Amino acid sequence: MTSDWSRRGFLHGVLVGGGALALAACGGGQKLRVEHADQTGELVANLYITVLASGRVALIVNKAEIGQGVSTGYATLVAEELEVPIDHVDVHYADSNKSLRVSNGMQITGGSTSIFEAYVPLRQAAASAREMLIAAAAQTWNVPAKDCRAVAGHVVHGGNKLGYGELTKLAAHHDVPKKPPLKAAKDFALIGKTDRRIDSRGKIDGTGIYGIDVHVPNMCNAYAIFGPTFGAKPSNLKADRAKQHPGVIDVIAFDWGVAVVAEKYWQARAAAADVDVTWGEGVLHRLDTGKLAAALNAHDRPGAVVADHGGDVDDALAHAEIKVGGTYEAPYLAHAPMEPNNATVHVTDGKAEVWAPTQSPTIAQAFVAHALGIGMDDVTIHVTLCGGGFGRRALGDACGQAAQISAHVKRPVKLTWTREADMTQAWYRPIYNAKVEGAVRGNKVTGANIRLLSQSIVLSGKPYFGAALTALPGPLARMVTDAMMAVFSTNSFGDVFATEGIANTPYRFSAFKLAAEPVQTKMPVLFWRSVGNSVTGFIMEGLVDELAVAAKQDPFALRRSLLPANSRQTRVLDRLEKLASWSTPPPNHVGRGIARHFCFETEVAQVAEVELIDNRIRVNKVYCVVDCGVAVNPDIIKSQIEGAIIFGLSAALDQQITLVDGVVQQRNFDTYPVLRMHEAPEIVVEIMPSEERPTGVGEPGLPPIAPAVANAVCNLTGVRLRRMPLQRAWNERGAT
Amino acid sequence: MKLVVNGKSVEVAVPPETPLLWALREEVGLTGTKFGCGAALCGACTVHVDGQPKRSCVTPCGDVGDKPIITIEGLASGEVLHPVQQAWVEENVPQCGYCQAGQIMTTVALLKTKPQPTDDDIDAALAANLCRCGTYPRIRKAVHRAAELLASKAAP
Repeated sequence: MTSDWSRRGFLHGVLVGGGALALAACGGGQKLRVEHADQTGELVANLYITVLASGRVALIVNKAEIGQGVSTGYATLVAEELEVPIDHVDVHYADSNKSLRVSNGMQITGGSTSIFEAYVPLRQAAASAREMLIAAAAQTWNVPAKDCRAVAGHVVHGGNKLGYGELTKLAAHHDVPKKPPLKAAKDFALIGKTDRRIDSRGKIDGTGIYGIDVHVPNMCNAYAIFGPTFGAKPSNLKADRAKQHPGVIDVIAFDWGVAVVAEKYWQARAAAADVDVTWGEGVLHRLDTGKLAAALNAHDRPGAVVADHGGDVDDALAHAEIKVGGTYEAPYLAHAPMEPNNATVHVTDGKAEVWAPTQSPTIAQAFVAHALGIGMDDVTIHVTLCGGGFGRRALGDACGQAAQISAHVKRPVKLTWTREADMTQAWYRPIYNAKVEGAVRGNKVTGANIRLLSQSIVLSGKPYFGAALTALPGPLARMVTDAMMAVFSTNSFGDVFATEGIANTPYRFSAFKLAAEPVQTKMPVLFWRSVGNSVTGFIMEGLVDELAVAAKQDPFALRRSLLPANSRQTRVLDRLEKLASWSTPPPNHVGRGIARHFCFETEVAQVAEVELIDNRIRVNKVYCVVDCGVAVNPDIIKSQIEGAIIFGLSAALDQQITLVDGVVQQRNFDTYPVLRMHEAPEIVVEIMPSEERPTGVGEPGLPPIAPAVANAVCNLTGVRLRRMPLQRAWNERGAT
Repeated sequence: MKLVVNGKSVEVAVPPETPLLWALREEVGLTGTKFGCGAALCGACTVHVDGQPKRSCVTPCGDVGDKPIITIEGLASGEVLHPVQQAWVEENVPQCGYCQAGQIMTTVALLKTKPQPTDDDIDAALAANLCRCGTYPRIRKAVHRAAELLASKAAP
């Protein structure tokens, strides 16, 4: 059993720590490549792929494995083009590295982009290595390269056969092909077929190293005490008794809270009970979510029009025979990944080495650099396994805190937050409030109007991200800041994340308008699985269902009538209608609801079957059809969709973060419920066959589930639930 | 004090009120048992004490004494996985994987008392093991698969 990071193999250090990367990134790569191959027998083909003397393939995955299966996905792409069995590929998660800032100028895992980004370039990288190995074999046998084939880790020609490991040194002398040929889809042996995850073993035998499991020599541990409200600063620290606990090294007040540092975490945890401190006001100004929701409901300014799809909405509403709609609401939400926030940092001589379960080494670097007043180049991030991410781990808050602690105690330190800290010091999914109107005349939909209020991740994040990023010295800081702001690309009020899923809806109403306005609070908000779509899908699909009921149309038929004919959307609906046996009515005690949503370039539609048992909304079964282009690992896609449905159901039914006097009221899983085994529906997922470029998978399964369930409840009871969490809305139905 | 972990006796220098979770992780060096909530609400820290599944985050070491403890690291025999682990791999259960040690330990205990569990048995046994990635449908399949594997192993 080894959890000692320092005992990780030499290979990891060389490959991921920069040796091979520096080599591959170097402009004069050829000479270095040959020297390296001569010394080690390794063919460093490019930034990502090294063929070892053993014939095994070291693959540097420039993404975090947060459970989405990226390690298997990338290994599949590489094994396919390199013509090796997938179990010959060893995955190494990339350290922070400037050459690997390939996603909007950053190293980041998010936006359901991993396979979308890598599908062509990573296969090209693998094909390059393959062509170099083939060239080496052809040279050895003095035969034309075009007559040689790569098969299962070997190059063959007639009766000749050489293993990749025997070819690496010679291959290093060959040019890296600029445009190596890629396999045709009909020749795929792994893509679309490989289903077994390659990362399961360490996750079921206890050997996988998550951030919380990191151990480095001479490491000590820190327990963080935070104030009752976000941003509260400690004063009057009294730690004499705590410091007398065995193992305690120091108790330190920082701007963000108090760190109790001890040899062992259990010692720090025990000593923390004896720390006395006074807390400041914090930044939330006694924010009260009940009052905030009431204010948003009462808010009646029209807001700026951010999408006008034509037609005269006012006229349609004025001449409607039936008007539908109401106020749709969604609360703040925590990500609550199973692994509490943590980071291990060693600060020495103005440099920091970090081990963390992070979705973004670049952002983690920025947080640490800012916390210590050093440059980003002075910060190295090692990425561990992540116990869930869902957007939360895009930040580097714990990294920055651990860096300050390490600088203070002059030792490597692992900071582990409690669950309560993770829940109350989180960065939350923003609240939403949308006034929705739809018009029906002559059983036809004539228009729809949406006025959206939402806290903007961009505007809210600026003071926090700005502090972490813009304060950095030098052009790097500007680069990262620009990259962040490029990600926060603007429309309307500066935040595409607030309106995505409505502004770009594929529905074609004869008249449609979206107005939006930001809600300004100091509540820290962040990307949460599927981001704005987690609410805008609920709003749009609720509206469309309301329109279907009012127009007395079948909800499948109405949706088809509003969507482009023979589109990805309608094909998915057609398939779902059959999969869910929609033409067969359900038993009387079961309601059915449909919802569809397009996000991250992927179309997902779902039917939820719901019943009410003792006033509890019970989702029995969910049928789901997905069009995500080429399905690289079909079973992993299915598992991601299953997971997104269940993650989304927890939020749809039960979860909310509320504040009273600026204090988050939910502190652990007793008050922030997560769906359980017996509550999880049976889920049937079908993936549409496709030869299009693969698109997002981790997030698009989420947005349809909440509206599918709300629409099913309405189908069953006639009660339209427009507020999440739905169970609470159901319990309070009829109340004003 | 002395703990008996995965068949080995280990001396740990912790006060008796220290939660077993932290003694296992920090003193014994077995980090497969995970910290999730610290309040017996999520099940990520589940281990066996005297054959019974226990939430190690709220189990004081002093209450364990020399009762045998089995952790996730104690299930496999060398390279050969326990049938429950094998079923987890076959069904592609883990996503992030953080909760799975607890899910597996709870399942191993379930299958000892109910070698052919019904879906209701699975619901009852695993209702308090949370998974944020939503792997429940696969866990259910894997429990049934593990029951098959165990039965075929037991068959002469």
